[in-house]
Amino acid sequence: MALQQVNKLPFEGLIAAARSHKLGNWHSKLSERASERYTETGWPGPKTESWKYTSLNKLTSGAFALAEEYSAIVPEDMIMPLICPRIVLVNGVLNKELSNLKQLTGSLSITSLVDLEDHQKIPFDDLFKKEESKEYLPLTYLNTAILSDAVVLEITKGSKCETPLHIISIGSGNGIMFAPRLIINAGNGSKVDIIESHVGCSGSEYFSNAVTQLYLGDKSEVGHYKLQNDSTGSFHIGLTRAVINNGASYDNFTMSVGGKLSRNEVRAHLKGSGVECCINGAYLGAADQHIDNTTFIEHQAEGSSSREVFKGVLDDTARGVFQGKILVHPEAQKTDGYQMNRAMLLSDKAEIDSKPELEIYADDVRCSHGATVGELEDDLIFYLCARGIDRESARRMLIGAYISDAIDEVKNIDIRSSIQSVAENWLKQNLYGK
Amino acid sequence: MSLLSIKNLHATVGGNEILKGINLEIGPGEIHAVMGPNGSGKSTLSYVLAGREGYEVTRGTIAFKGKDLIDLAADERANEGVFLAFQYPVEVPGVVGMTFLREAYNAKLRYLGEPEIDAMEFLKFVRSRAKTLNMSDDMLKRAVNVGFSGGEKKRNEILQMAVLEPDLAILDETDSGLDIDALKLVSDGVNELRSENRSMLIITHYQRLLNYIQPDHVHVLAHGKIQRSGGKELALELEAKGYAEFSGEAA
Repeated sequence: MALQQVNKLPFEGLIAAARSHKLGNWHSKLSERASERYTETGWPGPKTESWKYTSLNKLTSGAFALAEEYSAIVPEDMIMPLICPRIVLVNGVLNKELSNLKQLTGSLSITSLVDLEDHQKIPFDDLFKKEESKEYLPLTYLNTAILSDAVVLEITKGSKCETPLHIISIGSGNGIMFAPRLIINAGNGSKVDIIESHVGCSGSEYFSNAVTQLYLGDKSEVGHYKLQNDSTGSFHIGLTRAVINNGASYDNFTMSVGGKLSRNEVRAHLKGSGVECCINGAYLGAADQHIDNTTFIEHQAEGSSSREVFKGVLDDTARGVFQGKILVHPEAQKTDGYQMNRAMLLSDKAEIDSKPELEIYADDVRCSHGATVGELEDDLIFYLCARGIDRESARRMLIGAYISDAIDEVKNIDIRSSIQSVAENWLKQNLYGK
Repeated sequence: MSLLSIKNLHATVGGNEILKGINLEIGPGEIHAVMGPNGSGKSTLSYVLAGREGYEVTRGTIAFKGKDLIDLAADERANEGVFLAFQYPVEVPGVVGMTFLREAYNAKLRYLGEPEIDAMEFLKFVRSRAKTLNMSDDMLKRAVNVGFSGGEKKRNEILQMAVLEPDLAILDETDSGLDIDALKLVSDGVNELRSENRSMLIITHYQRLLNYIQPDHVHVLAHGKIQRSGGKELALELEAKGYAEFSGEAA
């Protein structure tokens, strides 16, 4: 019995507690399967390759209970500043009062866990498929085992959504864990822009274990922009998993500024040919923040292109991690891949670990990658000062320019400028008086 | 009264004394050229005047419009009316030329306690200045100096000077790296800015630039001191004889 105690996985107690919340037979079975898979997969430790730069010790040493409150006030100053319809989740559960469900047009439908139709349950099963079992996703199984709601978004085939949809996930409460789960199904030839803002109520310290699955039909165009601005002291482990079909275009950007420890993992499976896929991001870290961006782009078919630009600024003792893997299957001839990660360290004690990885089995491909780490050069600051700009403003201008170079990758102009304003706010709050 | 009055100026860089007692008086509207061999301290003088960190004044005084410059930070000196045209203008990725000019211009207005300029009005003003220097709108829309040729970078320096309208312009080796056409364009730009209220300090190794921008006074700097001063004929003499006379140990 003592041995079993030692081998016990973190959060197993919460999985047991979550059983009482199950909504019917299907949900209970799902939870059981996820729980079994979680146990088989095991918890990421120092020897787990894909987690070697991000230790979860600070997370597992804390005590968390399942969230039980599902209402809150939207922290407007934390979310992406955009005027468009909202879907709001509080502690992982859809809050209909805070959401603008009636503003949604006929081409876009929202279903929550209790109302799922059979075809909408398939994405949950996808993660248990044999072919996906090579993926190491323990926290995704944990999410599935404890989730108390899920939001499934469907965009009818051929429909072009003019206005973006803003999904706001709010964490509210101390010492709680919750599991936001989104499934986005973009029909053939549809077009949509989705924004995710992950934020917390002031003073809340929680663990948000978020999973977003996307399915892009043939020739669909999906813009997917995520802001991770969780409250200080919180943990955010997020997985975005996109399956992309023939001729579709996926424009992904993640802006990470919040939380004590965050990991944003994006896995893009380019199943179809002629796919255009962009996985970009920016991160701004201060104090003792830990920000991990891990990406995996899998070229499964011929003639697709992927582009990846990440830029980060780290101050104080903040630590950044960038891991970018590109896998090109033998069938994926004429693949065009580009990856770049740049980081600027503003303090001697800030750190970035960068690990690019290319695994290429096709012979006719073009793949390049690069990484740089730099500091803010005195030459540059002096040049601005010599034109009358004070040192503090000069620093802010230069760092802002550095990070906006990555934000410029965002295809939607309105969303680009709202991400820009998030970055500017961060600079104002964090770079004054230094 | 002098616009700039430098008295017994000593300065060190990284603990080494480079300037060893400079005396220089520049009156309003005067153009002074400082010439000298490599390593004589010419660029150090320009950085000390502009207030670059790491260039430490150990003795002497610098008075500008009667104010002590030494205690002012680089941005304050710029806003007081000191302008340094860099020998090697820096590329500023991500900062658009027009934005950079507006920030600098507004910084000066704020310093003087005046309201900031209207964006459209400023655009017109910059365009009129850029025209003289044959600079296109496209150059102003690009990030400052990024991908610019040597000549374009120097023209951009002169444009900044034309926009910021300093009382004292220090031109540090402005002719370096320029072909004849570019040199002419830049010199024309500088001559356009000559006025009885604007003084210039032209730092150069070669006499060539002084054919285009005629100085009132020429000084020879060597071993951290001004060794000789004279009129513009001194530049021609140096061109003929070289700096050999000044290359021995300081007197």
